[in-house]
Amino acid sequence: MNAVLRETESTVAPLAVSGLVHCYEGSNVLTGVDLALEPGSVLGLIGRNGAGKSTLIRIMLGLLQPLAGEAFVFGEPALKLSDAAKARIAYVPQQPEALAWLTAQQMFDFIGRFYPRWDVAFAKRMLERWQIPPNKLLAKLSPGERQRVDLIRALASQPELLVLDEPAAALDPVARRELLREVALRAGESGTTVLFSTHIVSDLERVASEIAFMHQGKLLMRCSVDETKERYARLWLPGKMSAAAPMNSLSRRRHDDGSLSLVVERDAHGQWPEAANLPGARVDALGLEDLFVEIAE
Amino acid sequence: MDASLLTVQPTAPEPIYRQIVEQLRRLIAGGQLVAGDPLPSVRDVAGFHAINPMTVSRAYGIAESEGLLERQRGKGMVVAVTRKATQTESHRLALLEPQLQALVRHTRELELPAEPVLRRLTKLLGE
Repeated sequence: MNAVLRETESTVAPLAVSGLVHCYEGSNVLTGVDLALEPGSVLGLIGRNGAGKSTLIRIMLGLLQPLAGEAFVFGEPALKLSDAAKARIAYVPQQPEALAWLTAQQMFDFIGRFYPRWDVAFAKRMLERWQIPPNKLLAKLSPGERQRVDLIRALASQPELLVLDEPAAALDPVARRELLREVALRAGESGTTVLFSTHIVSDLERVASEIAFMHQGKLLMRCSVDETKERYARLWLPGKMSAAAPMNSLSRRRHDDGSLSLVVERDAHGQWPEAANLPGARVDALGLEDLFVEIAE
Repeated sequence: MDASLLTVQPTAPEPIYRQIVEQLRRLIAGGQLVAGDPLPSVRDVAGFHAINPMTVSRAYGIAESEGLLERQRGKGMVVAVTRKATQTESHRLALLEPQLQALVRHTRELELPAEPVLRRLTKLLGE
C-alpha cells in the first residue's frame, strides 16, 4: 500500500504555481507567474535584485499568501501543508532568523526530531568544516554564519525538496563549491528536487538542469541550461543593415554608431535568422551571464 | 584516468557536456588515453567539478554512441578499442573544424583575401 502511494506521489510536481499575482504597497512584484518543477530537477532562478525571486519562493512554499493564483507543494495547497509534507521540505531563506535563542547544536538537536532522516554525523561534520562554533547562540553569529548553519540544517534533514534563496551570499568560494557539490550529487543520486535563486550565474551553470529568468515580476524564459546555450546567440548588424533585423528577437539594442545587437534564437531546423548571413553580420555565442545581461538590461 | 584530467568552464558558451566530449576526443586522439583505460565514474567527475551528474552521464552517453568509449561489465566506462583505419584523415580533419571556422571568421573580419592566408598556412604546415 505504502509503495503504491509513493509511486503515485513521485509523479506529482514537488512545486507548482499558476497565475501568481502579488504586490507590495501598490507596486507589482509578480504579474502572472506559472511554474512547475519536475521531480529530481535542479531549477536555478535568476533575476536582478527586486525581480521578485524571494517573493515567488515564499509564495511557492506557502509562507506568503498571493493576491491571486495558486501554489501547490507535492500536490497539497501550499497554504495548508500537512506535517508529512513539511518533513519532506527544507528551505533556507536569505536571512534566517528563527530560533535565535538556541545554539547551533541545540537547534540541530531540536529540529532533528522532526525529520525522520536527520543525518547527525553530517551536521556535526559540516559545522566543523564550515567553522561554526556549535555552542554559541545563533543570535550572536554573523549573518554569514547564520546562513551556513541554516544550510547545514537543510541538508542534514535529507529533504526531497530543497529550496535555497541566494545561498551563495554567505559562503566563500571553497564553501560555495562544497555546497554546489552536495546539491549536484543529491539531485543526481537521491533524486532531490532543488530550487535555488542566485545572481551568481556560474553557480547555476554548474549544477542547474534548468534555468528560469525572472524579470520585472514575470518569467521571461525557462529552458535547460545546455539548450539555452545552444539555442540563443547575439546577432550584431552594422548600421546600414539594421533594417534587415528580424522582428522577433528577445532583446534589441542600438549602439551609438547605429549598429544593432539582438538576441536571436535558432528556428526549428537549427538555423539562425536570415539576417545572420548578411555580409558584415556577426553571430556570437553567449554564455548565460551575457544572455542574462542582454535580456535584463 | 582521474577526474582532475578534465577541465570544466561553466561560464563558457559551450555547454559543459560538450566540453567533456571534446576533451575526451582530444585525449584519445592525442594518445593520452588508450584503449581499455577506465574512465572515472560519473559520481567522481560530478563531485570533483561540482557539476550535475546528469551532465556527465550525457557526455559519456554521447562519447559511447560515437564509439569513443564503451561500457565494460564490472569496470564501467573504458576507452573503446579504436579501429585505427577508420579513424584516419576525415575523422581527424573534423576535429579541426572549429579552429578552421574561427580562422575563416577572423580572416573576414580583417578583410583579407584568401590567397595570402592560404600561402601563409601552407608555409606554416610545411615547416
